[in-house]
Amino acid sequence: MAKPIRCSLCEETATVHLSQVVHGKVTKVHLCESCAQKGGATDPAVFQLADALAAATPAPALTCPHCGFTDLDFRKRGRLGCPACWETFGEALGGLLLKVQHETAHVGRAPAGVIPLARLRRRLEDARAEMAKAVAAEDYEAAARLRDEVAALERQLAPS
Amino acid sequence: MSVEDILAAESELTHLLGAQQAIVLSTRIRLARNLAGLPFPGWAKVPQRKEIADRCVTALEALPKFRRGHVFRMAELGDRDRAVLVERHLVSKELAGGKLGAAVISRDQTCSVMVNEEDHLRLQVVKAGWHLRGTWHIAEQLDDALGAALPLAFSDRLGYLTACPTNVGTGLRASAMVHLPGLCLAGHMDKVTRALNQDGLAVRGWLGEGTEAAGNVFQISNQQTLGLSEDAILRHLGGWIKHVVEQEWNARRKLAEEEGEKFVDRLARSLGVLRSARLLTSSEAMNMLSHLRLACDLGCLPEERRHLVDRLMIEGQPAHVQARAGQELDSDGRDRRRAAVVREALKDFPEVAPPA
Repeated sequence: MAKPIRCSLCEETATVHLSQVVHGKVTKVHLCESCAQKGGATDPAVFQLADALAAATPAPALTCPHCGFTDLDFRKRGRLGCPACWETFGEALGGLLLKVQHETAHVGRAPAGVIPLARLRRRLEDARAEMAKAVAAEDYEAAARLRDEVAALERQLAPS
Repeated sequence: MSVEDILAAESELTHLLGAQQAIVLSTRIRLARNLAGLPFPGWAKVPQRKEIADRCVTALEALPKFRRGHVFRMAELGDRDRAVLVERHLVSKELAGGKLGAAVISRDQTCSVMVNEEDHLRLQVVKAGWHLRGTWHIAEQLDDALGAALPLAFSDRLGYLTACPTNVGTGLRASAMVHLPGLCLAGHMDKVTRALNQDGLAVRGWLGEGTEAAGNVFQISNQQTLGLSEDAILRHLGGWIKHVVEQEWNARRKLAEEEGEKFVDRLARSLGVLRSARLLTSSEAMNMLSHLRLACDLGCLPEERRHLVDRLMIEGQPAHVQARAGQELDSDGRDRRRAAVVREALKDFPEVAPPA
């Protein structure tokens, strides 16, 4: 006879078996009757289920290699651990950023000496499009000005 | 260097005669910045937070803006001194509550930097009155000087990296402290708040997040920090403040017209109470000072007295009253002391006249 599966929260025999997919990773949780009741696992609409799962899954899905901060820490604190966390959790945070910021890319200033490449690339695309329009409209003065700007941007963006 | 110096100094918000304006008390710019390669204060270990504090304070002290300024380490201050800095909006409650936080403050108190709050560095520039561009210009210079002195955490795609996703990108929070007695009296404030919220602006009370709007004073600020340039954020806030100021003037004119003598009577009574009360609670003082400020704006009191009203709003707060008294006071003691300070300040105030 197969060994009975133990509850993830206490040591009772588990009778409720849950699978949840978080960030493409499958997490399995086994609960006994009473823990499942307490955690609201029998009512899928109850949020406590998420807490039961969080408590029952000690293995975080993502860990920042720089500071050891995990996605579970973020869920608890709502703040990140270090600047490098933005690399680690960047993709996972995309949805949250859209919700709180309505945008996912920076367009403002940069520290002195830092060239904001993304902004230069966007400007290069815009300038090329504007140049094509100017040529089509036979506005050669504007086209010449834009050609110089495109050339300057290309120089700045060329790998040195 | 002590908090006494902060109280005694002729600061931008308390003593700058002539800088005060109707409706907008002050303009504020805040920038959230972090050092590259170090954990954010909330996740950093104690030795790391010490290192962060030392590096930031050393770099800040060397900047021309903070020459002959103040440096405060929160652990070295008593409860009352920390409360004074909070009441002056020079540090937040969170910073004052932590052990390893520090604040570097310029001599005139226009520029201040909190170290080891939620982010390593929180720069703040504040000017009396409504000067969005001028205030931003100073913040930009301070930010440039800071960026040249310290390696800041910045990503090409996400901008300035911060502990909380609500600040990432520009790290910019621009705000105006506005005095809106007309809209409050007319019962329009809920409507105004809703409109501002819907267009991405936050409305808070006098002391920031989670505080009540004592004295009809509100702080209006941008929420979004990512995907908008600093210029776009400032234009958005500026457009709305201009609109709110117009609405406030309309509400005031309407009230003055409709209520006539009753309106002036209300303002005159507040002056009467402030001039003779023996006990004044802080919210009572704020609400009556709000009437005096309104009277100055409308020409019922001389405009050049407005800065005194602003100063009393700041100096009537509990920690300020106790610091001035040089001792801890219980609630009655504070109310007695506050009443005395206000009586003294208003003793040669002229009478409230009908609007010009």
